[in-house]
Amino acid sequence: MPQFEPANFLPQMVWLVVAFAILYFGIVKTTLPRLGRTIDARENQIMGDLDTAGNAKAEADRIQAEYEAGVASAQEQARARLADARSEAAKAIEAKLAETNAELNKKMDAAEASLEEARAKAVGEIEAVAAEAAAAIVEKLTGTRPDEAEASSAARAALA
Amino acid sequence: MSANNPMEQFAIKTLHPLSVSGYDVSFTNSALWMLIALGVVAVFMVVGTIKPQLVPGRWQAALEYVYDFVVGVVDENVGPKGKTYVPLIFSIFVFVLACNLLGLIPWVGSFTPTSHIAVTLALALIVFSIVVIVGLVKHGLHFFTFFWPKGMAWPLALFIMPIEVVSFLVRPFTLAIRLFANMTAGHVLLKVFGTFVVSLGSFGALPYVFGAVPLAVNVALSALELLIALIQAYVFALLASIYLNDAINLH
Repeated sequence: MPQFEPANFLPQMVWLVVAFAILYFGIVKTTLPRLGRTIDARENQIMGDLDTAGNAKAEADRIQAEYEAGVASAQEQARARLADARSEAAKAIEAKLAETNAELNKKMDAAEASLEEARAKAVGEIEAVAAEAAAAIVEKLTGTRPDEAEASSAARAALA
Repeated sequence: MSANNPMEQFAIKTLHPLSVSGYDVSFTNSALWMLIALGVVAVFMVVGTIKPQLVPGRWQAALEYVYDFVVGVVDENVGPKGKTYVPLIFSIFVFVLACNLLGLIPWVGSFTPTSHIAVTLALALIVFSIVVIVGLVKHGLHFFTFFWPKGMAWPLALFIMPIEVVSFLVRPFTLAIRLFANMTAGHVLLKVFGTFVVSLGSFGALPYVFGAVPLAVNVALSALELLIALIQAYVFALLASIYLNDAINLH
């Protein structure tokens, strides 16, 4: 077996040490740290990006919450204003109704008053006519015309 | 018949004789394939990090995948203090993986350096020395309390301590032999079934027919060897990080 030939040992060991030294100091030590740095940089970048994304999400959440609060308060305001407007309108309608009612009542009173007046006038006229007629009847029957006041009081007594 | 010898594939061929102050350090096919593995890893890593981007391209994503895997292994076994040793474990993992996988390429005369105990032992000794050095630097002489089983009655502990010492000292060898044996066994198996394909396939009365069975086995074995190549690289890196953990977080 050539592996156990003592003469083969030294040259191979020396060349292995040479090759391994070149590999370690010449190749791996010069290239691997660059790779390690790149990987670290990538990790940092990813972490940074994740951080940024997290912050952005928090900011977005905050803005959304703010927006929702704004919408809710606007709705609340609108509702309050609507209720106000509704009650105001109801009040105005009531006031107008009351005013109109009062006016109507006044008109009704006036109409009633004038009706009463007209009736009284008519009754007065009827009295006068009745007294006149009664006086004329008495004159025809008795030949004497009764006193004007007496006739009218008698007519009034008869009419009442 | 030498081409049919399943051990022939592990032969070390000197490509360029070299000697430094009397010691033989010839450039062999093993060294060549270590350098090829080094080159593949270098291309993989340099292209993958030539322009590191936050959104990775294919090369970078592939490299990051391997890197994440190693970081996961180290993190799991050593914890946050192990971050400094990620490049080391990464180097071990990709180097062993590249050697294992390149050795499986057929026809190009590929050689698997990790099928030689000299290579795996050297790698294991590197890991072992680093573990010892890290342990001594971090904890000073306190590091040797590692061998004293905690919370045990002292007569028993006295008995256990030598076992702990031996099991610690034997670590580089088990680490080396595990990888070497797996790689060697796999390649021998592939080679043996390969020779079966030829010898059964050239059976005179019914040529090719009987070669199909060992061929099918070889296809399945190749898939298994790919898996083993990956798993052994993982196991080597995993054990290296477990040993490092012992040195960094004493007990």
